[in-house]
Amino acid sequence: MSEQLLAALVRYGSPALFAVVAIAAVGIPLPITLLLIVTGSLVAQGAMNVWSAIAIATVGSVAGDQIGYAVGRWGGKVLAAKFSRMFGNAERIGQLEARAKGWGGAGVFFSRWLVAPLGPWINFASGAADYSWLRFTLWDVLGESFGAALFIWLGLVFSDRVQEVGAILGNLTWVIVGLLIVAFLGWKLFFSESPAEISEA
Amino acid sequence: MGQPRRRTIEILGFCLALAATFFFGYRAGRTARHVRWQDEPIQPWMSVPFVAHIHHTRADVLFQAIRVQPNPRDRRPIRDIARAENLPASELIRDLRNAIANANPTGSETIPPSGRAP
Repeated sequence: MSEQLLAALVRYGSPALFAVVAIAAVGIPLPITLLLIVTGSLVAQGAMNVWSAIAIATVGSVAGDQIGYAVGRWGGKVLAAKFSRMFGNAERIGQLEARAKGWGGAGVFFSRWLVAPLGPWINFASGAADYSWLRFTLWDVLGESFGAALFIWLGLVFSDRVQEVGAILGNLTWVIVGLLIVAFLGWKLFFSESPAEISEA
Repeated sequence: MGQPRRRTIEILGFCLALAATFFFGYRAGRTARHVRWQDEPIQPWMSVPFVAHIHHTRADVLFQAIRVQPNPRDRRPIRDIARAENLPASELIRDLRNAIANANPTGSETIPPSGRAP
């Protein structure tokens, strides 16, 4: 799959870049980091222009993110209502929505490039939590353009080492995702008071 | 969901996330250690100018090695060229490797995969 996408990028350039980043932003797991690094290498080879590559990657990603947000906004409510009826847990879902709003711009910004695998989930959660569309779009455009510029620049600098750099960054992304989960669960396990402890106090 | 069951799931998730963090960290470190001396492998998705760029060789030399009219604007991936020529992509990749080794006789193509740069 990833080989076909990379072949399409090498052969067709910008249209392939736009299509792949948009599809990935909707939530289909595709090797976007490697794709952007290869784009940087194509820029170094003179096959693409750096500014148009960053602009196309940003517009494509934002278009895909908007779809995820819209699905969350209109489909997420229905799903949440269904689950709360099934499990009688409306209060808990309300708390989750409030928490998703609390992540705010930082959550949207960092999930565009630092913890990119969480991006589609944040899009959906932001829509479902009724997070302001204008703010979502602002942070989305900032995050996506920063991410596109960063990875394309890395591809430009390491234009003859694209596969290794892609592999290192791909692994580091999962290290960061893992560390976030470890920190969150560690905090819950070792520092957060359990309901029993709260009631005893 | 009961409290003890939830706590067990959280502990399991914590251990799993910790193991995954070490696993991906190890993989990132291993790749970073090898990046300096290992040559980029030629892949079927790469075009001939792309291969020429990553191996610091002239594209026309590589086009000639695979018996294709040199054209710097020919961005067809190797697998598409192989399909058009009715050849397996592995054969073209082998020819490209030989051409790179001949063009850069002191290059890193001669470094064994498990060895270190001389």
